[in-house]
Amino acid sequence: MTPALQPNPSLATAPACAHCGLAVPLSLVRDHEDEQFCCQGCRQVRALVKEWGFEQYYQLIDRQQTPAAPARVSGRSFEDFDDERQHADATDILDADRRRTRLYLEGVHCAACVWLVEKLPAVLPGVDEVRLNYGSAVADITWRPGRTRLSVIARALDRLGYTPHVHRASRVQEARRVEDRAMLARVGVAAAGAMNLMFVSGALYAGEHSGMASAYEGFFRALSVIIAVPVLGYSARPFFQTALAGLRAGMVHIDLPIAVAIAIAAAASTWNAVSGSGPIWFDSLAMLVAALLGARQLQRGAQRLALERADSLRGVAFLEFARRIDGRAADAAVLEVPLAALLPGDLVEVRSGELIPVDGVVVAGVSSLDNAVLTGEAVPLPVVEGDAVNAGATNLGARLIVRVDATGARTRVGALLALVQDATARRPAVLQTTDVLARRFVFVLLAVAAATLVVTWSLLGPDAAFARVVALLVVSCPCALGLAVPLAMSVALMRAARAGIFIKNPDALERLRHVDTVLLDKTGTLTEGHARIASWHGDALVRELAGALEAQSAHVVARAFTTSPIRPLYAVRSVTEVVEAPGQGIAGVVDGHLVRVGNRGFIESAGTAISIHIEGAAWSMVGQGLSPVFVSVDGKIAGVAGIGDTLRADSMATVAALQQRGLRVRILSGDHAEIVARVAAQLGIAPGDAIGGLTPEGKRDMVAGLVTGPGRAGAVMMVGDGVNDAAALALADVGIAVDGGLGATIVAADIVLTREGVAPLLDVLDGAHRLRGVIRRNLAFSLLYNIGASSLALAGLVGPLLAAVLMPVSSLTVVLSSALTRTFVVSRAPQRRLARGRA
Amino acid sequence: METIFVLLPLALLIALIAVGFFIWAAKSGQFDDLETPAVRMLFDDEAPRVARPMAPADSTRRNQE
Repeated sequence: MTPALQPNPSLATAPACAHCGLAVPLSLVRDHEDEQFCCQGCRQVRALVKEWGFEQYYQLIDRQQTPAAPARVSGRSFEDFDDERQHADATDILDADRRRTRLYLEGVHCAACVWLVEKLPAVLPGVDEVRLNYGSAVADITWRPGRTRLSVIARALDRLGYTPHVHRASRVQEARRVEDRAMLARVGVAAAGAMNLMFVSGALYAGEHSGMASAYEGFFRALSVIIAVPVLGYSARPFFQTALAGLRAGMVHIDLPIAVAIAIAAAASTWNAVSGSGPIWFDSLAMLVAALLGARQLQRGAQRLALERADSLRGVAFLEFARRIDGRAADAAVLEVPLAALLPGDLVEVRSGELIPVDGVVVAGVSSLDNAVLTGEAVPLPVVEGDAVNAGATNLGARLIVRVDATGARTRVGALLALVQDATARRPAVLQTTDVLARRFVFVLLAVAAATLVVTWSLLGPDAAFARVVALLVVSCPCALGLAVPLAMSVALMRAARAGIFIKNPDALERLRHVDTVLLDKTGTLTEGHARIASWHGDALVRELAGALEAQSAHVVARAFTTSPIRPLYAVRSVTEVVEAPGQGIAGVVDGHLVRVGNRGFIESAGTAISIHIEGAAWSMVGQGLSPVFVSVDGKIAGVAGIGDTLRADSMATVAALQQRGLRVRILSGDHAEIVARVAAQLGIAPGDAIGGLTPEGKRDMVAGLVTGPGRAGAVMMVGDGVNDAAALALADVGIAVDGGLGATIVAADIVLTREGVAPLLDVLDGAHRLRGVIRRNLAFSLLYNIGASSLALAGLVGPLLAAVLMPVSSLTVVLSSALTRTFVVSRAPQRRLARGRA
Repeated sequence: METIFVLLPLALLIALIAVGFFIWAAKSGQFDDLETPAVRMLFDDEAPRVARPMAPADSTRRNQE
């Protein structure tokens, strides 16, 4: 039964891919070639890089630091990019013959990518300059429409392994940038003002101590007013604006006590400076403004990374183009057009591995569709002529021709995306801890200030009374309180990003505390989301032969063979005479052996009988929910592979750990109920908590019911990856998108994981818990400081000098407390990332 | 000592110019991307300085460059 094959002892270790450095699967090793490649994408990119003379790229890659990422080439023509309306949002017209277009590039993963992309002008005439932002993977391309076309540039990028997308969010991002820049300028002015005021005030304090000629004192007082004007008038403006906006909305914002303290102390100091007597607080105020603005700028910076990533993906429409067939003739031209250009009744071509761009009806072709992102079904659905298909499904088999019924928002996936918008709008806003504290703080402060004024006025007269109230306002201005949360948050956000956790919405961290129910999607979240060989019956050598043959195909079964690596025994030298029968199987000659891999009919049609032995194995696979794929070698049945969606390596342990924390873990899936029940049983989840067969609307309504259900104290966390989860993610108290999730999910989620698997969920929970500890400690400290400082001020012991010393000391304590605590960490070594295709 | 009436405003003027430059730099977007310039400076047109561990499959070819 076993073919005459001998294990190859020379292949002790797998060679590294000449492009990306990943281990090359043995079934793809070509003995006669110098360079080995892990995939077709890497092979193509390597060839182009050599052709263009950019081999320096490989020397710039730091393989120790950079995660290996196989190149993906979409092979699109990008003709739709030549339609100016397609990229108007992302294009600036610089002058009559120059344009600057922003493209988001998939696959930017290392510093060398920046070098390679920015080298494009050297090989593409008409491209003046390319600047790539490494963090957001957005390239600014300056090009001349008279000398080149955007599709030419896009094709070049694609062939280098960076599939480009028009960066539609660039206008939104530009607006945020302008705001960020203004904020940075304010921080700079405040910091410069604070430092210069410190010198001037230093002279005044020294003068108070050892005497100072009145001419000099007057001069210094006048200078401090002059320096304070831009700090209080320009830098501090945001405090006044938010405080006022809060008041108009009937809310007490943390900025209100800050604005009140700044306004009153500034007015009193100006009066004192002009009248020539009494304390001047400008140095403390400027320091306060600089510290608070600096902390907020830090938090913005930490959040920007997550926001920009989400923006880029929001800009990347899930479906961007269609291949329209112009005319009914057999040799009609196929043109890539924007979706908006399609009309009902048009015919579009969908190649193997591509997404169906429209809702419509198949008019030609036989294939199978992966609906996992739409419905959560892990098993591909066969389609033939006359079947209705939905936009967003992946064509796994042969080429299909689809007649367009609906595009864009009128498709089923368009309606799902509208649900996400709707759900996002419906979610109630949470009140920040600081704002709750600020409200109490304001009332206490105002009460104490009023009491001080009354008591000291009656005892010491109006001048002393007013001085003490100002001192009270300055020292008890909630500087540390204002720093406590933003600082702790910004440090935590940066740590989280480093641990592969992007927190888009920091409010979610607050809600995480109350989570008592975790809802998990099945396909793509708990499971791999794509077919793998879950069980194999037969000789390992046969499996390698089958793998070598399947490496020639893009079919879902082929992907299962090539992504389920086994310990290599044998090096395949040649694969020839490959014939693929769509929907049935593939045949070819592998090192002289005729190998056939396919369904029962495909094997039996070649006259091969399936042995009782193999038959039994196939039946038990069907019993486990797997699809059997048979392999014959030289006309004899040699093995059977059970193909199915398997659990992720960390699902079992993660679910157990979540349950151990007292959380109720439930599965919400669109897949068939019996498959969901089987997965739940494997994971130790009660059968009642595993719900299958849910539509996206059903998922959303389940979550809505749990979030707003009567008598619920706990919050609901939803974890998912598909479009069918997006609305539920947006509506849940905390929505988390797992790695590999689609743009829609990432837009809807509060937290996006970029590390593979579900184990990072535990890091999110732990990190949020530790962050709460840090915030609590910071707040406790700042409250303690405020009580102490206020008591001193009430006793009339606080002058400008003491305030200028107390304020930075208290702030520094909060800074240290925030910076020294490890909040979000990687609890386990990240797994090696495997090649994973989106399309 | 009277010189302080001249020197101090002069010092502040210089500080003002520096702040002006900072505002100009911030508003013209020079601090927008703090990450890419850090990696871009590693590239130059001569021999690369970034050490790279050789991949076994292609070490011979690499040395010819």
